[in-house]
Amino acid sequence: MNRSNQRIIIDNVRMLGENRISRLVITDSRITSLQVDAGIEQAERSDGDASCRLIDAQGSIAVPGMLDLYARLREPGFTRKGSIAGESHAALRAGFTRVLCAPDTNPAIDNVPTVELVRHLAESGGGAQVLPIAALTTGLKGEQLSELATLQGAGCPMAGQADHPLESSNVLYSAMEYAASFNLPLILTARDAQIGAAGCAHTGAVATRLGLPAIPVAAETVALARMLELCRETGCRLHVSRLSSARAVQMIDAAKQQALPVTCDVGLHHLFFTDEHLAGYDSLFHSAVPFRSRSDRDALRSGLSSGIIDAICSDHAPHDKDAGLAPFPATEPGLAAYRWAMPLILQLPELLQLSLAQVFDRLTQAPTQILDGLAHTGLSTDHPADFFLLSPDGRIEQDDAAQGAAHGASGNNHPLNLHTAESLGLGELCGKVTHVFTRGRVHLFG
Amino acid sequence: MSLADPQFNAQGQLHHFIDLDGLDRALLTQILDTAEGFAGVGDRTVKKVPLLRGKTVANLFFENSTRTRTAFELAAKRLSADILNVDLVTSSTSKGESLLDTLRVLEALQCDMFIVRHGDSGAAHFIARHVSPSINVINGGDGQHSHPTQGILDMFTIRRHKGDFSNLCVVIIGDIRHSRVARSDISALVKLGTGEVRVVGPRTLIPADIESLGVTVFPSLDKAMHGADVIMGLRLQKERMLSATVPSSGEFYRTYGLTTERLALAKPDALVMHPGPTNRGVEIAGSVADGSQSVILEQVTNGIAVRMAVMSIIMGNAENLRRAEASA
Repeated sequence: MNRSNQRIIIDNVRMLGENRISRLVITDSRITSLQVDAGIEQAERSDGDASCRLIDAQGSIAVPGMLDLYARLREPGFTRKGSIAGESHAALRAGFTRVLCAPDTNPAIDNVPTVELVRHLAESGGGAQVLPIAALTTGLKGEQLSELATLQGAGCPMAGQADHPLESSNVLYSAMEYAASFNLPLILTARDAQIGAAGCAHTGAVATRLGLPAIPVAAETVALARMLELCRETGCRLHVSRLSSARAVQMIDAAKQQALPVTCDVGLHHLFFTDEHLAGYDSLFHSAVPFRSRSDRDALRSGLSSGIIDAICSDHAPHDKDAGLAPFPATEPGLAAYRWAMPLILQLPELLQLSLAQVFDRLTQAPTQILDGLAHTGLSTDHPADFFLLSPDGRIEQDDAAQGAAHGASGNNHPLNLHTAESLGLGELCGKVTHVFTRGRVHLFG
Repeated sequence: MSLADPQFNAQGQLHHFIDLDGLDRALLTQILDTAEGFAGVGDRTVKKVPLLRGKTVANLFFENSTRTRTAFELAAKRLSADILNVDLVTSSTSKGESLLDTLRVLEALQCDMFIVRHGDSGAAHFIARHVSPSINVINGGDGQHSHPTQGILDMFTIRRHKGDFSNLCVVIIGDIRHSRVARSDISALVKLGTGEVRVVGPRTLIPADIESLGVTVFPSLDKAMHGADVIMGLRLQKERMLSATVPSSGEFYRTYGLTTERLALAKPDALVMHPGPTNRGVEIAGSVADGSQSVILEQVTNGIAVRMAVMSIIMGNAENLRRAEASA
């Protein structure tokens, strides 16, 4: 990691969405010049200035820093699974420069000291910028509202319930009315508190054969219908986090056509995996938002292509090894997403029939719009640099995990490894973030 | 991707006995034939054969059971094995010890075979994957997933009475959703080429997409009974009646109870089966359970021979593997 209060010239780089080769000049952490096919001599580049650094980015693409709308960083409370420093570095290595951190820590992010602790640990950790989601209710118990206006003031851009159910319609109604008073958006996952509450797999042939307690689609749609109606009634801005079913995509589509203030995202893995992957009780596919049928997955893909689904989040959930060492229903759900995020993202253009720039839009522009209501300017001249260099042919090496571990990122709970890509029906897994420029720093991941 | 079937060893032979899904018809038939050979042992004055002499079999029951545990114990004793009953319902796991730690402790007691019953679906798979290779695991029932020795003993009972499966119509009644017995029976019946397998019950007790297992769903018991050769009842757990699944035992009996009148709709020589324990007046009329068509107690007796067959096949394969590895 280096301070970039120097001049940095990035040569031979391809800007995302363009075919031409460009040169980027960064001065004092701002992009000061963007030249296309410029032919400046070597001497001219450095001006003999010792503080000027030259990066030859031959074969690389410059991409705006991604914003992750949902990740668990496990601190405070679950540091055996991960730490803010470790996970926020893992996020950075994956190309995420900003991360919305789930409030299901212990204590939950329902009070200002915890918000300050999270922010302090993130600042001192020096990884991606961490934006804590406020717990909507105290202790995420679904009973009493947290001090939402205070938490917003302390730096929480949204409030939500993480994976905890909110049983009372009345509490949700109140929460949305109250949040609307402060223009605080809610980030909620549609999961009914009772239907399929004990479930651990999508209701369908696989769960039936394996005898796994099942989660029907209605667990999502019943909760979603309630949320959307309360959104209509209260005018509260609602971001629906991690859709799982085809029917939910249709409901969001209808809500958007009626101009409800609603946006939504899908977890990265839900674009790839289905309940069929659970055959054999592989606990690495145990997800709190269940992997559903192929037709559900296909609807999530087409919803993302058509724009009904706005964004992709990582749904990052690092675990210690013990969390997965139990019979499937007793394992803890969630996948550690960051290590394999970029190779999976690079599979999406073909799967979604989108350009690479359109895919990255769902990880950069769309989430930034949802969070800030503004466009992402991380690759624009006269703005602070917030982007990364992507080597699309770069390979994830085995020792990348060790490097991640050196920063304290512990979770290796992910079904992908260098040997499983083919059996998962995925192509060659390539794509590596080599440099990240964000908040005045340059991070090198060689 | 799905994890490989942990049941088979490097030689492709049965190493653990976890569920019937991975077994083909030839293997099922081999187990049934072997059980046939053991069926006479119980009628002898000396009810023992020395096949598992010197071996230690541990009954690891994380869930309450009397019948299955007793049947395994008897089967092991008739094979001359030493048997260790470990009560785990009230023991280590309730003290917070993880399943894996419990397993390691029991491994250290140097047993040869674990008979496992556990409340979580997939528990037997998990144990088979993590147990020391010197130990063979037999599933005595995992959650709502599988009860493979019950499945085999039911097939054994049917085969003894009906012979060929291809012309049979088998009706399974009641709580299919929560039943590991139903899943194992369905898997075995379909593999053995049964003519038709019907499942009957209210929608709350029929799991989603059950047709994908090769059965036909009938909402009405009366209709399902027509032409039936075998009728299998299932136990309806009391807690189902306390939840919203079934309104009452009375209504269940009126709609899905196996009564004399309903039995008369089936073929006159239809078999009545039930894995026990039965709830008289809930799933089945006492007169039907005790009637001439009932083979419920025969199932219990057959369970011993079937478990002897499974244990001896598994132990024989383990010995073969050891010999092959020693000579290699």
